[in-house]
Amino acid sequence: MLSKRDFLRAAGLTVASRVATRAFEPKESDRKVIVVTFGGGVRYAETFAPQGLVNIPRLARLKAEGHFYRDCRNLGVLSHFNSTASIVTGNWQRVDDFGFQPPASTTVFEAFRKERKAGAMDAWAICTNKSFASIGSAAGAGANVVLPKQLLIEAVKDVARRAGMGVADRENVQRRLESILQEGYEGVGWTIFKAGRQLDQRVRQTLTHALVEYIHGPEAPASGDELTFFIAREVMREFSPRLLLVNFWDMDVAHWGAYSLYLQAITRTDRLVGMLWNEVRENAKYRDKTTVLVLPELGRDGDMNTANGFLNHRSGDASCRNMWLLALGAGAEKGETERPVAHIDVAATVAELLGVKWASEGKALKEIA
Amino acid sequence: MISAILQGLIEKGLFERIPATFSTFFLEQLKDWETLFPAEHRYFERLFTLLDRLEAAEFGGLFETLRAVERQMGVNERNWPRRSFTLDQVDFLNRNAHYAEWRAEIAKIFSRLDPVLDRETAQRGRPRFAAVISPAELPVGPDRLWKRLSGKRVGLETPLDPAEHLAPLLGLGEAAPYDRWLIQARDDLSAPKGVVSLGYDALAAYRKRLMNEVQATVEKEQIRGPRELGARLKQMRILPGEGAAASDPVLAEFTRAVLLAGNGTLLINNTFVEWAAVQTVRRARPSMLVAGFGVRNKVKPFSSLLIFSDQEKTNPIPTQVDTLGTYVDLEIFYPYIWQEFGKYAEYQRNTVFLFAAEGMDEAMVLAPPDFTLPEKVSPAKLAGAVREWMQL
Repeated sequence: MLSKRDFLRAAGLTVASRVATRAFEPKESDRKVIVVTFGGGVRYAETFAPQGLVNIPRLARLKAEGHFYRDCRNLGVLSHFNSTASIVTGNWQRVDDFGFQPPASTTVFEAFRKERKAGAMDAWAICTNKSFASIGSAAGAGANVVLPKQLLIEAVKDVARRAGMGVADRENVQRRLESILQEGYEGVGWTIFKAGRQLDQRVRQTLTHALVEYIHGPEAPASGDELTFFIAREVMREFSPRLLLVNFWDMDVAHWGAYSLYLQAITRTDRLVGMLWNEVRENAKYRDKTTVLVLPELGRDGDMNTANGFLNHRSGDASCRNMWLLALGAGAEKGETERPVAHIDVAATVAELLGVKWASEGKALKEIA
Repeated sequence: MISAILQGLIEKGLFERIPATFSTFFLEQLKDWETLFPAEHRYFERLFTLLDRLEAAEFGGLFETLRAVERQMGVNERNWPRRSFTLDQVDFLNRNAHYAEWRAEIAKIFSRLDPVLDRETAQRGRPRFAAVISPAELPVGPDRLWKRLSGKRVGLETPLDPAEHLAPLLGLGEAAPYDRWLIQARDDLSAPKGVVSLGYDALAAYRKRLMNEVQATVEKEQIRGPRELGARLKQMRILPGEGAAASDPVLAEFTRAVLLAGNGTLLINNTFVEWAAVQTVRRARPSMLVAGFGVRNKVKPFSSLLIFSDQEKTNPIPTQVDTLGTYVDLEIFYPYIWQEFGKYAEYQRNTVFLFAAEGMDEAMVLAPPDFTLPEKVSPAKLAGAVREWMQL
């Protein structure tokens, strides 16, 4: 069956369609894509289910502006690394759960860089868990991977060891963050492709600037996800990558068994996604040419008949596998889709948006052009 | 040394006839026989006796699809040695493309076995009692405390004092080994003789040692995730100075397993209480359980990232309690505990649940229709009703 896009192409309506949609569909070469994951896992029950909307006021509002896939499924291994690796490769991944192996097939970052001859600063993954160090590439040159929370943990650990005000003094935390950054990314598991001394210096300055903004943020941010946001925003402002993965993670606090902290983390992520979307709309390099795909990396176990409900995410029940996907921005038709789509469709969609030839288990979502 | 019944079934070759992914798991469990509860001993004996009793055609039919799924998964002697169940096999299952089918098939097998086992259990059923206590500090009244449960609210003659209303219940009549449990966040109640007592605060020394060990292991060793960490720490038994459970191998192992479950039991008092209660029901099947929650502390900025560190030491900001957060946390834990009981035949249609809060003059009761309480309940009237219900 022909998709609407295929039909337009086949029917020779391309000129008309360009005229009609120029404001919304940028040229392929200008196109930018940001994939945002609710890493750590979140259930429908606490997000887009009627009783969950209270936790995600911004996404609930944004839903009307974009295309909402009601049924986006993770049919793979329900671990963090494999779930996100499936999203970025378009193939269900079954590698080591804890990042000791890279994804088993090419990531969309690698394909994008290779085929579009994109530079080292054109693909970034701002992630959280240490195991995600290899999420950017299966074998070739892929995304720079930055793990803000790991940097924060290292800094806090050092500051906490010292006497005095310790972590209660934000300046202390800032000084240590900067100092670790100067010592080298590798210590905190980051992968940043070498791009020459001048550019490397710019990367360092950019990240340092993000740290300063974070420490002096008006809302006194202290979580890993907030640092993830500040770094993602600074990378966008400085390098304008065409492909960016932002992997929020605070909600994995659910493993602790504190439901209130899990809900707070979801609401914080909702706020940060809203701020990221504002940046897309206000930043001239992104405005009107960026598609943002937001989805949970995985769900969490349902309250009934499972080992321990929201604390875990291994049961394989519907609460764990069936989630949603929200597409915003350029090319995302307003509306909703009922038919099931899958996590592995994301990479194929990203590839199509960026004009990358791509073959994977997943198929591009036809509602996003 | 496992029981003569199971030893006989092993020697008879029963486990060799059962598909590898099913039998290996249980053989591994049987290796820990000395640290299993009597209820678990009885369950394993009944399960495998039932399998042994099946006619050949019935036995073959029960496992036919599982065998086919195992073939699709590529299970063989090399990747699945029959006599040992390791973390590699857990990984093999989790990462296999047919994992969902395997899991569904295992569930299907138990859906055929469980009704038979449950019927036997129900025939020997006896009345049971469980109480869940909330701390006094919660910011809501009884009208909003148990919103996810639907029970009957009953009035108390005097505000609930767990020491007067609930602790004496655990001492009614004689307790069989591991049959009555007191699990609490704080050390508020003392357990009568013969009652198993586990407390988050009481286990502070053991918890602290485990946290230090976990932190050291994670930082200094190349640990491949929580399961490997769990295996690494399996030998970290509670020491005599760290709690009464140390003197009982079954309870020592239970306590260790609860604290190292991979979730927040080491970190958060109420997670410990919930998970310990759930595991007690699942494994020990007690006839009486009293679980007392406490108040969780607020998460401190920055230092909370160091999850295994002592927050008092790593952050000079004074510790504050999070009463509202605790209320939200417990709102979901109440039904989790309640529904865990409902999963087992021992508790169905014969268990009285009392949800109460310290200092509150109302409680909620979920009970079979033949359990009755007076209009206003005093400690003596409650004890009388429970004594009568449990036929003590």
